Amino acid sequence: MASNGVIPIKKADCLELTGDISPVEAEQAVRGVPRVNIRFSGFKDGRGFSLAALLRRAGYKGELRAVGPLLHDQVDDLKRMGFDTVEIERRDSPARIRNTGGMNSIYQPDPGAPLNRASAMHQRAVTIRKARAETLAAQTEGASPEEILRVATAEYGGRIAMLSSFGAEAALGLALVADIAPDTPILFMDTGQHFPQTLTYRNRLMEHLGLTNLRTLKPAADQVEAEDPGGDLYLTDGLACCDLRKVRPLAAALDSYDALITGRKRYHGGERGQLAAIGFDGERVKINPFAFLSREAVAERYKALDLPRHPLIENGYASIGCWPCTAPAMEPGSREGRWTGQDRKECGIFDPARARRAKRAGAIRLIQTEPRRLGAERIA
Amino acid sequence: MKTITANRLTDGRVVYRTIDEGWSENATQALRLTPENAETALASALEDQLIVVDPYLIDITGDVGDFTPTGRKHVREAIRLTGPSAGSTKEIAHVSIR
Amino acid sequence: MYQYDEIDRALVDARTAQFREQVNARLSGALSEDEFKPLRLMNGVYLQLHAYMLRVAIPYGVLSSEQLRSLAFIARTYDRGYGHLTTRQNIQYNWPRLVDIPDILDHLAGVGMHAIQTSGNTIRNTTTDPFAGAAADEVADPRPWCELVRQWSTTHPEFTWLPRKFKIAITGSPEDRAAIGVHDIGLRLIRSKAGEIGFEIHVGGGQGRTPVIAKKIRDYLPQRELLAYLTAILRVYNLKGRRDNLYKARIKILVNAMGADCFARAVEAEYEAVRGRALTVPVEEIGRVSAFFAAPPEGRSQTTPPAAPGYDRWHGVNVKPHRVAGRTIVVIPLKAPGKTPGDIDADQMDLVADLADRYGLSEIRVSKEQNLVLPHVDESALESLYTLLDGARLATPNADKASDIVSCPGLDYCNLANARSIPVAQQISRNLHESGLDAVAGKVTIKISGCINACGHHHVANIGLLGVDKAGQEVYQLTLGGVADGDAAIGKILGPGLNAGAAVKAVIACVRVFAEKAAPGEAFTQTLARLGAAPFKEAVYGV
Repeated sequence: MASNGVIPIKKADCLELTGDISPVEAEQAVRGVPRVNIRFSGFKDGRGFSLAALLRRAGYKGELRAVGPLLHDQVDDLKRMGFDTVEIERRDSPARIRNTGGMNSIYQPDPGAPLNRASAMHQRAVTIRKARAETLAAQTEGASPEEILRVATAEYGGRIAMLSSFGAEAALGLALVADIAPDTPILFMDTGQHFPQTLTYRNRLMEHLGLTNLRTLKPAADQVEAEDPGGDLYLTDGLACCDLRKVRPLAAALDSYDALITGRKRYHGGERGQLAAIGFDGERVKINPFAFLSREAVAERYKALDLPRHPLIENGYASIGCWPCTAPAMEPGSREGRWTGQDRKECGIFDPARARRAKRAGAIRLIQTEPRRLGAERIA
Repeated sequence: MKTITANRLTDGRVVYRTIDEGWSENATQALRLTPENAETALASALEDQLIVVDPYLIDITGDVGDFTPTGRKHVREAIRLTGPSAGSTKEIAHVSIR
Repeated sequence: MYQYDEIDRALVDARTAQFREQVNARLSGALSEDEFKPLRLMNGVYLQLHAYMLRVAIPYGVLSSEQLRSLAFIARTYDRGYGHLTTRQNIQYNWPRLVDIPDILDHLAGVGMHAIQTSGNTIRNTTTDPFAGAAADEVADPRPWCELVRQWSTTHPEFTWLPRKFKIAITGSPEDRAAIGVHDIGLRLIRSKAGEIGFEIHVGGGQGRTPVIAKKIRDYLPQRELLAYLTAILRVYNLKGRRDNLYKARIKILVNAMGADCFARAVEAEYEAVRGRALTVPVEEIGRVSAFFAAPPEGRSQTTPPAAPGYDRWHGVNVKPHRVAGRTIVVIPLKAPGKTPGDIDADQMDLVADLADRYGLSEIRVSKEQNLVLPHVDESALESLYTLLDGARLATPNADKASDIVSCPGLDYCNLANARSIPVAQQISRNLHESGLDAVAGKVTIKISGCINACGHHHVANIGLLGVDKAGQEVYQLTLGGVADGDAAIGKILGPGLNAGAAVKAVIACVRVFAEKAAPGEAFTQTLARLGAAPFKEAVYGV
């Protein structure tokens, strides 16, 4: 017996659903099935459009096929809803060659497509955001940290956050934010692999400065369980570890923010040598109040503020991240000591392409983590 | 008595089925049907999908060349036959009919 | 007002090209009428009694003078020299040929207009206050949000095949002039305690066969979340709305069946799941769109008191206060005595476009009362404006008066109608003017629908007429006490149906009772509440 809306069909690897199935029932029924047909009772039956989007959101990665007396005119929209294929069943269907447009722009984000295209409103916003960031960058070239942050909070108030690792140089940035906009959300990525000293230091510093808006970001428990159950992924694949513990949690949390305050400085070297005070990464604005400070100036600021310092600095660490990937440095105040022996200089949180990939990966985690006992789930 | 009417596909104008199985805007040429032959005539008219939209039977009375719609939809069919009874179509002087 | 960029142009051009191909496919037989019908409907093309009808979208009722001139051009070139303004702030042409419609749509696209989703089971033109951006009592300008909703809803891949049509209205004023209570979704712009702008959300209102006042399902939604929340509402409706019965397919039926609380919970759950960066309106886009709707510059005040005959009465009735010094709002009623409500000929369109250029910053609005509005008139130009409008029969002093009658096209044109509306409206209008009643009665709304679909908004009229077919005869039901704006209310049937002549007399009798018995400044519904239906019943039925 078929339950409501689920028609068992003979082909082994295919399940057929109709529009009257509840989304919850459908999400359970399709798990692990390589192909799902959604049957449309007529071309005006629009339920399958929404159903496809919900199945994609729930993580269904197999083939979705729209089946029924549909119109050629609906194919583009069906694909935007997440269908891979469309099977048009019409009696006497004269072939129709139709210009499907191949639109470069869309008014809405594709509701069910795995490769999210930017909608018109986001395309436009990005253009404006970039131009505005360039103007502000020119205005703030060479400016003091206070001036840069003031300009930034005036422009991006309410959608700005600060990312802090509570590492060696974090205190300075936090003090600056506490001084100018103390209610700014402080995003801290609790990777689960911080030095205990870092966590203690975090609490101490927040209290000392009077910052109240701490937002702790953690990797999803089910993802850690699936991808790094032993907590030793860093040994075999440092990039994957950063992806799991930093890039993905951050990508989710960043949704609410258009601008981020960073502690990056030109003297860090490498790609940071050309850093502007206000930059654009293709999606977000990066505020770098300390971009222009010299290492000496940073040291002087510390002194003047008389702030608590990260306990590990005493032990020779210059740039402090997770314990497995941080080592003492020869040159204080540099990024030396990070990912020693690995061919990279950044964790990837500032790489928008990686962040996008990570976000998609997050969206499909249900499939990845679900044990593969699929045959039993199929309705027969 | 009955006849068959529809709207022309290309421009939507009211047309009537003629004796030679064509269509005409001129109601005086409308076909006369008895209840016996009405359905057969409609079936044939329905095949003209590329000429008209959704032909249907209407009840009429009167002599050949001059009929009056009757039956439940007589007001509607009278308006289709003679045009709107009110509205700017009648009021605007500089009407240019294509 | 909003100007298309390349993205808007490309999207509208693509849709226009697509429809041209669909028309050709129908003409060649590649599409049957059954398949073509929903496609033409979602491009605004109906087949009515005598011809096709094309309904052109006037997004939230806002027009530029250039657009109005194009509408006049289309009326002259492809139609019979006029157009009809609708209660959804759109315009419709009664006589276009199907084969010409792709060309008409090309003309429209050239001035940033289209006919997309003016019909069909889709999200229709969002309506709003015709005084938006000009009204003195506004919390926030609804037009940027109407435009954002227009873009989000236009050719939405998920919501093109809904159970039934879907209508959204937004008001920015506490004194709702957008009838949000009788819309599938009614949105009210409000300010939170923290001073932030957001929306109060009402769902499941509607007219038609089952008139219902919308239920509030959310007190406050941050403005940037609007599209995510609308997506959630539409998704719940698309999946759960009834598709087995045309008359039970609107969202109001679903909301009533689930209960407003349960429906709200389903929406909130979907909203939590669907919200995110992709559906959050970027601050930059709000800024970009809002910049098109900047407040007008101050105008000049009148220096000498106008002396033209009839000016004072016109000013007292048709001119409304503006939020900016030296500017006024001028209503242009398309309701001259005995005229077809909402019809405007091509010469009048051109004249109004010229007057808007000369005196009103080139902007025109269409109201749901089927009138035109010049929203930003320079006060010093009022007398000249009056004289020119009067010369074109466009200065009848009856905005919001009894003779400002709303009427659908009715059985003279419409395929769905059961009875004629226009001749009844014309006769009522003549009687009101000839008897002098129009001038003495206070504000009262009269609305006429030719069938239960209620395009003439009779349910929410103070005095409503509904045309029905009773055994092949046109019969009219009279309702009293409906209200469209603010605290919306559905009118109640007063007594047995009446033929056309009796219906005209009945409406006049009700206006007379109101004129004679209303306390000073009293609204029709207040008089009705105070006196009850008895005096009206007696005047109409003699009992």
